[in-house]
Amino acid sequence: MADTTVTTAAPPLVRRRSIGELLSSDFRALPIVIGLVALWVFFTIQSDVFLTARNLSNLLVQSTVVGIMALGVMFVLLVKEIDLSVAAINGVTSVLMAKLIVEAGVSPWLAVPMAIAIGALIGSLSARWVTFVGVPSFVVTLGLGLALNGLQLILLPATARYSLNGTGLEKIALTNIGGIWAWVVLVIGLLVFAGLVFSEAARRNKAGLETPVMRGVVAPIVAATGFGIVVVAILSAHKGIPLVVLIFAVLLGLGGYVLKQTQFGLYLYAVGNNDEAARRSGVKVDRIKMTAFAIAGGVAALAGVIAASRTLGVGVFSGGGVGGGTLLLESIAAAVIGGVSLFGGRGSIHAALLGALVIGTVSNGLNLMGVENEIRLIVTGLLLVLAVSIDKLIEKATGQQSF
Amino acid sequence: MKFAKALKIPKFASQISNTLLRGGVMVAPSLPREEIEMTDATPGRSATPLISMRNIHKRFGSLHALRGASLDVHAGEVVALVGDNGAGKSTMVKVMAGVHMATSGEYEFEGKPVTINSPTDAQKLGIQTVYQDLALCANLDAVQNLFLGRELTGSGLFGRRLRRAESEVKAREVLGRMRLGNLSLTRPVGAMSGGQRQNIAIARSILWTPKVVILDEPTAALSHSAAEQVGTLIRTLADQGLGIVVVSHDIHNFVVNATDRIEVMRLGANAASFKSSEVTGEQVVNAMVGGNEGVNLAG
Repeated sequence: MADTTVTTAAPPLVRRRSIGELLSSDFRALPIVIGLVALWVFFTIQSDVFLTARNLSNLLVQSTVVGIMALGVMFVLLVKEIDLSVAAINGVTSVLMAKLIVEAGVSPWLAVPMAIAIGALIGSLSARWVTFVGVPSFVVTLGLGLALNGLQLILLPATARYSLNGTGLEKIALTNIGGIWAWVVLVIGLLVFAGLVFSEAARRNKAGLETPVMRGVVAPIVAATGFGIVVVAILSAHKGIPLVVLIFAVLLGLGGYVLKQTQFGLYLYAVGNNDEAARRSGVKVDRIKMTAFAIAGGVAALAGVIAASRTLGVGVFSGGGVGGGTLLLESIAAAVIGGVSLFGGRGSIHAALLGALVIGTVSNGLNLMGVENEIRLIVTGLLLVLAVSIDKLIEKATGQQSF
Repeated sequence: MKFAKALKIPKFASQISNTLLRGGVMVAPSLPREEIEMTDATPGRSATPLISMRNIHKRFGSLHALRGASLDVHAGEVVALVGDNGAGKSTMVKVMAGVHMATSGEYEFEGKPVTINSPTDAQKLGIQTVYQDLALCANLDAVQNLFLGRELTGSGLFGRRLRRAESEVKAREVLGRMRLGNLSLTRPVGAMSGGQRQNIAIARSILWTPKVVILDEPTAALSHSAAEQVGTLIRTLADQGLGIVVVSHDIHNFVVNATDRIEVMRLGANAASFKSSEVTGEQVVNAMVGGNEGVNLAG
C-alpha cells in the first residue's frame, strides 16, 4: 500500500484508506457484484436450469447486444451528454445493411463496415449539432432517434422485413469457438493483458518508482486468469465461446485500454467532470465529445449487426422498434446500473458488462421461473433505481464522493 | 493525515518564497536555469515588454466587452488589473491566456506579433494562468491535473498512450521542491482540502517554466495575512524574472502594496494607470468607478 519514491527523500507514505474511500474508488463495483451474485443464488434456488452451462452460455449471448450498446453509451455519458438515438442508429443501420446485402448484392464483408461507419457518422453529426448550436444532447438525439425510426420504416420493403438467412451474416450468431481453440483464445487474451500489466510495471521500475508487486502485477493477472478459466470452462461445456461473446469481450478490452491508458480516455473523464477546466487546459472539448458520440454510434451499429444476425433478419422490430423500446432503456440502464454516472466523469469499462449481466440475468431468470414479461420490466426498473440509490447511500454514509 | 492540517495557505506561501530565496528555483527540470536567471540582470522593467496588447476589442454577440483596451507586461514586473464588475478585466486576461480570441487588436509577445487561438498557444509561449476557481477536475488525481492538456505521452494504439510513470516522477519532483511531497498523487483532487487544491493549481502553473503568470483573484478567499504571503510569493516570482498579472478586487490591502503598476479598466477600456508606490487606494477606486477626486459621484 505504500506509495513511495526512491528518487526523492520524501518520507514513506503509508496511508490506510478507509472502507468508504475504497468503496468509492477501487471497490466501487463491489455492491453491484454482490447484487449479481445474490440474483444468481436466488435464481439457482428457483430454477434447476439456471446454473447450467447451457443456460449461462445463453445468458451471456442474450446480454451481448445490450452490453455492447451500454459500452458505447458509456462514452457519451462520461462526457456528461446522453445519446437517446443509439437504438435508432442500431435499427436504421442494420436495415440499411440488410437492404445493401439483399437488394444490391453487396458483400456482408463490405456492408458491415459500412453500417458501422454510418453509425459513427450519425453519432458525430448529432455531436456537432450539440456543440455548435448548443441544443442539449437530450433533445438533439431524441429528435434524431425519431427521425431515424421513420427512415428505418421507409427503407424497409413492403413486407416490412428483410431475411438475412443464407447471406452469410447469420454465421456471426451461429459461430462458436470450441475445443482447444477456446483455450487458445483465452491464452492470447491473457497474454495481451499480462503484457500491458508488465510493461506498466517495467516503466515504473525504470522511472525509479516503487511498484506494488502484489497489488499492481500479481493480483490483476491472477484474477484475470481465474475469471477467464471459469468463463471459458463454462462456455466450453456447452458449445464453446460464441463469436458474439468474443466480440463483446474484445470490445471490453479495447474500451478498458482506451479509458485507462490513453490521453483520449483521460480527456473523456476530464471533460465530463469539468469541461471548462479541460477547455482552459487546451483540451479540444468539442472534438472529444464528437469522438465519444461517434464511438457510441459505431458501436450501436455493430450491436445492430449482431442483433440482425441473431434474429436472422431485420424489420420494424430492429433497434427495439419505434421509439427504441426496451433496447434503448436497457442500454442506458445497464451502463447506469454498472456505475456510470449520468452527471459525467465517472464509470469504468466493467460497468457495461456488469450492468448488462444484471439486466440479462433478471430477464433470463424470470423467464425460467415462468414469470410474464410485465413483471420483468417492473423488476428491471426497480433494480435501476435500487442500484443508483445504493451508490448514493454509500456516498452519504461515508462522506466520500465517488469518482 | 497530519499534513492536511498543517498545510494552510500562508505557510505554503512562505515555504515557496523560502525555497525561491534559497535559490531552489521552482522550474521544471527540462529548461536550463540560466534562462530564468539571465532576466535578473534587468531588474524592474525590461525594454521590450513580454506582452504588449494594443487596442483590443472583444464582442460577445451584441455585448462589446472590450473597447480598445491595451496592456503591457514587462519581465520582473507585477501588474494589477483592476476595475469594477463588467469593466472587462476578466475578458482581457482571458484574451491574454488564449481562452477568448480578440475580435480585433494587436497582441505582441517579446516584441513579435503573435496569434493566440487557444490556451495551448498561450502556454507554448510561456503564459500560465491560475484561475480563481482553480480549474481542476475533481475526479482526476494530482498528477492528472498537473499535466492536464500537456500529458507526457508516447505513441500507442488508439491515440497517444499516457506515460504515467514519467509523469509521476516529474510531478513528485516539482511538488517536492514546493515542499508538497506528502501530497497524495493517486487520490482524486475532489477528495482533498481546499488548501491542497490551491497548491496543486499553483504547482500546475509553474510546472512548465512560464514567462508570464496570470493570477485571477488570488486573494479572494484568503485572510489578510494569507494575502500578504501571496504578495510576497508574487514578488519573489517577479524577482526571478517572471511577468505577473494580477486581477484583484482587494485594492486597499493587496493591490496597492503588492504590485508595481496598476492598470484601471472601465467599460472595456483603459481608464487610468498608476505607479503603485505613488497612489492611494482611494485614487484607484475613484478611477475604477469613473469619479474624480472631490467630485461627488451622486452629483
